[in-house]
Amino acid sequence: MSAASKEKVQMDPKYIITLTVTLLVTCVVVAAALGGVNAITEEKIDAINKEKTEIAMKAVVADPDNTTFSDKLTLTDEMIAAAGSVTLDSVYEAQVNGQSAGHAIKVVASGSQGKIEMMVGVDAEGTVTGVSIVKNAETSGIGSKVMTNMPTASGVGVLSQFEGKSAADGTLTVGGNVDAISGATVSTRGVTNGVNAALAVAGVLG
Amino acid sequence: MNIGKQFKEGLLTQNPVLVQMLGLCSTMAITTSIMNGLGMGVSVLIILTASNVVISAIRKIVPDKIRIAMFIVVIAGFVTCVDLLLQAFVPAIAESLGVFIPLIVVNCIILGRAEAFSYKNGIGASFFDGVFQGLGYTAVLLAMCFIRELLGAGTLAGFRIIPEQFPVGILTLPVGGFLVLGCLIAAMQWALSKSKEGK
Repeated sequence: MSAASKEKVQMDPKYIITLTVTLLVTCVVVAAALGGVNAITEEKIDAINKEKTEIAMKAVVADPDNTTFSDKLTLTDEMIAAAGSVTLDSVYEAQVNGQSAGHAIKVVASGSQGKIEMMVGVDAEGTVTGVSIVKNAETSGIGSKVMTNMPTASGVGVLSQFEGKSAADGTLTVGGNVDAISGATVSTRGVTNGVNAALAVAGVLG
Repeated sequence: MNIGKQFKEGLLTQNPVLVQMLGLCSTMAITTSIMNGLGMGVSVLIILTASNVVISAIRKIVPDKIRIAMFIVVIAGFVTCVDLLLQAFVPAIAESLGVFIPLIVVNCIILGRAEAFSYKNGIGASFFDGVFQGLGYTAVLLAMCFIRELLGAGTLAGFRIIPEQFPVGILTLPVGGFLVLGCLIAAMQWALSKSKEGK
């Protein structure tokens, strides 16, 4: 410690009050300004987020044109436990002509560079109808190939290969019943874990 | 107030990135495409100018002991405003810049200019300091983006210039950011020392 910090700090109480009041006033003014900006932008941001979720959900159901989605379902402990190490973000019920047609399940799995937020569509029979990536930070040019559904060696898109899989296929594993993009095994594994979790959650939902 | 001198300092002799070495983290992180660079550069320019003006305006009433806290409150206020506005009106840019917009709060260019310039100078001079330092930052970002996007991804602002099989992919990765920035700093220092010798 330097000598300066050992010096006894003697401050005039008035000065301390000046400091406090100045800082307080600044914070109040800034907070008020932020409140104003927030009031203008809040609705727009909500609408944009809602639209994004809607697009992601439409992308994973069998019949996007006729499907409507419920509001977020309340997550139960059982559902969260079923997802295991993958974070369950939200579940929406898909409805065609008022009939339940399965669920759109948003999960957050871990990829090679960070979290992969993905939407998985599961129909009423428990079969995967589609997988789409909402947000990711995978390496551009390597892991990003998985995110953009590039074909694997077998010629099928790496995300498309999950379509038609169900709990009956057992736990999906890369190298077993899932093909990886060469060089992007970790990213493919992340997505696979996400799909497994979504199938497990769908199993709980029935 | 000498606008010409401030202009030259902001863009060349006191360039925030290449000479003052401020804001290097964001410079390397987001310069993978021209649109990112432009979005980030303009955001920083606006925030820097606004915070410079406000800090200069309140500099006489800010007690010396808590000036840094005051600066940060003002800067954080502007950054949050810009972040919200970007999310609401240009969601595409907000998405590709992600966390780097909120991180402008701790971008040392802004705090550095507050401490070194606007806390000691008038409102007009501080305004131009913000604009020119912001332009200097944007210019470096654009140069980095140009090199990294063209040679690394083979595109410019999304349009393909070089066929897909030729680009050097490594330039778009973090290591490419270090390499390109290092080369730019070296080139800048060389040019500056050269022009000094000439005098």
